[in-house]
Amino acid sequence: MNEKIIRIKDLKKEYGKNKVLRGIDFDLHTNENVVILGPSGSGKSTFLRCINRMEEPTSGEIYFNDILITDKNIQKMRQKIGMVFQHFNLINNLTVMQNLTLAPVKLKLMKEEEAEKRARGLLRHIDLLEKADSFPASLSGGQKQRIAIIRAMMMNPKVLLFDEPTSALDPESIGDVLSLIHEVANAGMTVMIVTHEIGFAKEIASRVIFIDEGKIIEEGTPKEFFEHPKTPRVKEFLKKVL
Amino acid sequence: MDNFFNKIVELFTTPEYIDSLLHGFLLTMQIAFFAIIIGLILGTIIALIDTAPKSKWMILPKFICKIYTTIIRGTPMALQLFIMFFVIFAIRGFPQIIIAILAFGFNSAAYVAEVIRSGIQSVDSGQTEAGLALGLSRSTIFRKIVAPQAIKNIIPALGNEIITVIKETAIVSMVGLYDLNMAAKDIGSGQNMASYIVPMFTAALFYLAVVYLITFIIKRVEKQLRKSDRRG
Repeated sequence: MNEKIIRIKDLKKEYGKNKVLRGIDFDLHTNENVVILGPSGSGKSTFLRCINRMEEPTSGEIYFNDILITDKNIQKMRQKIGMVFQHFNLINNLTVMQNLTLAPVKLKLMKEEEAEKRARGLLRHIDLLEKADSFPASLSGGQKQRIAIIRAMMMNPKVLLFDEPTSALDPESIGDVLSLIHEVANAGMTVMIVTHEIGFAKEIASRVIFIDEGKIIEEGTPKEFFEHPKTPRVKEFLKKVL
Repeated sequence: MDNFFNKIVELFTTPEYIDSLLHGFLLTMQIAFFAIIIGLILGTIIALIDTAPKSKWMILPKFICKIYTTIIRGTPMALQLFIMFFVIFAIRGFPQIIIAILAFGFNSAAYVAEVIRSGIQSVDSGQTEAGLALGLSRSTIFRKIVAPQAIKNIIPALGNEIITVIKETAIVSMVGLYDLNMAAKDIGSGQNMASYIVPMFTAALFYLAVVYLITFIIKRVEKQLRKSDRRG
């Protein structure tokens, strides 16, 4: 087994009396592709968003490369933990090129020319080089999401988190985005994906975890999970979605 | 009708009248200009405190700002002007124009703060999240992402506030300052003119000209800022 890049211990998240996460223990290994499934409202997005502190956990510990993530080091950690959002979140007042180069240049990870060269290479790779100087408002959803993915890649992250990356897309552009995610994962990136695309989950996952009512209630390889589910809850879920 | 035209000719050929109107206009512009500057600076500070992340150091400043904007927005401008003149600055010999500038500046700050606060809060939280997820600092996110987008929402409303201040300064005539409004009344009630219609319409044109100019400038700025919204 590869080294553990992320370790999560007894993660809890509460909004007042509403307990969204009720104690999650989880290890992510390098090169793993973990797909997180679960009914809506189960806490799977919240779980993902707690990892890079888009949501502040109520309690629990998260280690990245064996270093405890704290308020002090979170900014550095986020440079290594990329995230792709459901609603793309391209920065509206910046061009595509500026979206790609802002963080690496501002954080002094790359020189401006170097970052632009890299960005152009990635844009050419996804066939959107001609959009380099466009603003996000002029792009389709699928184009935005593919640019959001390469924006995350610009940082050379160790882990990429995908929070329902295709849920806000029209059916036609879903395929393009999924194949780019596939490609990123196949290239050796460690990824965690919250998704409702069951077919895609089967293809890409090296491990599936199922969250219900704020707890991981089952996990396994895609083969185990989809063909021989252990718990009645997962059996019921699979019956509905397959 | 003849009489009306005669009055126009009289107004614009009597150096004394022109002098009064220009002096009044100048005072109006001075009060409005400096009040707007104070309003913008103080209002921005209040808005930044108001929108800053919650922490124990911010509880008191946030509370003070809340009380300030509530009181200012909840009481009449004319009353605030009276309080400034007859209570807070009831000091013999203190320059009246400065009291007026402060009164309008402090008032405008509360409205400017609201405009800026709602402009900042109307920026989609996903924009901030994008910056955070890339490891950018809060201050970089504010300067490079939130502020440029907030300004687009803020500028039109700020234009309205500037126009409001200019027009509202007309109430300084209530405490005896000789502004444009007062000049018109003064000329009209004089023995020689003995008619309000021409001086008051003339004053109205002065106000209109300034407001029109500002509206025009704001529209240009808005257009400039909209560039990134264009599709294609």
